[in-house]
Amino acid sequence: MPSWAVLPDKERWNLVGYLKTLAPEAFKEAPKKLELPKEVASSEASIKRGKEMFEAIECHKCHGTDGRADGPSRPELKDEWGHPIAPANLTKRWTFRGGPGRTEIATRLAAGVLGTPMPTFIDSVEKPEDIWHLSNYIASLGPERPSYATLITVTAARGDIPDDPNAEFWKKLTPSTIPLMGQVIQDPRNFNPSVDLVAVRAAYNDRDVVFHLTWDDPSESKGDGKQTFPDAISLQFPPQITASTERPYFLMGDANEAVYLLRWEQGKGVGEATANGPTKIAPIAGGEAGGKAVYDHGQYRLVMRRPLTASGEARPTFRPVVFTPVAIQAWDGGAGETGTRMSLTSWYYLRLEEPQSSRRFVIPPVVAILTLAAMVLVVRAANRAR
Amino acid sequence: MRKVATAGGVAALVIGAAMWWAASVAAQGGGTIEADVKYNGAPKVEKLKVNKDTEKCGTETTIEHVVVGANKGLANAVVSVPDAKGATKAKGVIDQHGCKFVPHVVVMQPGELEVKNSDEILHNIHTYSTANPSINKAQPKFKKVMTEKLEKPEFVKVTCDVHSWMLGWVAVLPGLGAATDNNGVAKIENVPAGKHKVEVWHETLGKQEKDVEVKAGQVTKVSFELKGK
Repeated sequence: MPSWAVLPDKERWNLVGYLKTLAPEAFKEAPKKLELPKEVASSEASIKRGKEMFEAIECHKCHGTDGRADGPSRPELKDEWGHPIAPANLTKRWTFRGGPGRTEIATRLAAGVLGTPMPTFIDSVEKPEDIWHLSNYIASLGPERPSYATLITVTAARGDIPDDPNAEFWKKLTPSTIPLMGQVIQDPRNFNPSVDLVAVRAAYNDRDVVFHLTWDDPSESKGDGKQTFPDAISLQFPPQITASTERPYFLMGDANEAVYLLRWEQGKGVGEATANGPTKIAPIAGGEAGGKAVYDHGQYRLVMRRPLTASGEARPTFRPVVFTPVAIQAWDGGAGETGTRMSLTSWYYLRLEEPQSSRRFVIPPVVAILTLAAMVLVVRAANRAR
Repeated sequence: MRKVATAGGVAALVIGAAMWWAASVAAQGGGTIEADVKYNGAPKVEKLKVNKDTEKCGTETTIEHVVVGANKGLANAVVSVPDAKGATKAKGVIDQHGCKFVPHVVVMQPGELEVKNSDEILHNIHTYSTANPSINKAQPKFKKVMTEKLEKPEFVKVTCDVHSWMLGWVAVLPGLGAATDNNGVAKIENVPAGKHKVEVWHETLGKQEKDVEVKAGQVTKVSFELKGK
């Protein structure tokens, strides 16, 4: 069914009128128009009231305490045809069926979402205007549209970079948001990927390069090996970073060209591996990588670190200012993702910013002084000549 | 002789009148159908562990697909007389209690259904119907009673998406009817005398029909045996 927005409004309504005559029984009674309560503008007080209502009417049962679709009823939800259905992640408004705007959210709250477990709440809030307070609260949980990054900047840090994913250090860095797609090239494919977005923060010092990844996953899964598997994520790099624009095959390399993976797996922790395709992954012995992951209300936050310089053919050495190819793969093991059933990106670039040195505080004043001196000389010379 | 004859005539008249009166009362009150529904198979009650709201729902629960009592009596079947009209107009009442729908099968006539929430947690009443508009309404803890309308005869499945094991049915009947008890017995009173079709319905075992003749003031027994599919 394509979109018929190409037809003028009037023509579309005419079509609606005609289609209704095909099933006259179903349209015998005039439809009732849903009237939303009087709009309440978003404000701190309204958002606060919305949060109270969110808790009172137990939205968290499906949508999770922080809105990340990890509520206790989540695994059992079915649509009206008996197929499993995931609740909306309220921090990702652009994925909402009914649209991301405040009025659209209020409409879904009031009317429910037909065919899904989402019920109508118009008669089930304390006061009708609570629909708007809820809508304002939900809108406050995340942006209307994601802003995707094209380049990951690795910040030059002085001193230690913490392993704790919740450390203040990481909150101060601006994340680069990278979209992920289902892997649909190699069987078995993944048409309905779970992880659609990873926020990357990164920093380096004179010893290590450290990556901080944040992504939503509705369940912390170690896997039973049959239907569920360990959650995992990996950062992929070419084994050697050269000036050449040629990179290994983005889907975890191929038989001719390997890729290097810095990966984390639930229960195993951080490790390094070489891959010649998604089914040929070999751990690198004597791994120098480390890190720490935390899981909190439907979200993983992970720190992975490794030395800047590396020995051998399998591991890349990271150098400042060089554009370094990077790709991401993620597995939501709780949703049955493993092996080629993953979400992934094609190649992106990351760049270690120039080392922070005191030169930037010294050179500009020196240049300024020299320029001034030169000007003074020129003026003097001119005066003498007169 | 004449006196005797007169007395006899009066007596006959009185008796006749009494009989007519008795008959009309019986016809007004009608007869009773006592249906006995049996199932020649194993009960199917799904047991499962509860992982949320355990303080209200308990830690274990059951889904009652087929409940069989003593003497193979089938519970939760609905026996109805579709053409027996003029019944009571009482509302149907369904309660959400202990994260179960109570009763499992509500029998009502087209009209209002009172939906109660005795659990003080969020439920949502989600109906699956074709003749009636389907309902999917949230019922948070502070909303103790809601009234819904089911205006067309239909067997309506009721679920709760918050607690996926919750399953109930509302039998909206065109005529008289009753649900069977744990022994598989259902009594329908005040059925007008005459020939009727009696129908039995069960959520998983389907339907059966039988013809009965109801006599005023009498109990007419009818028995059904449903078979597993």
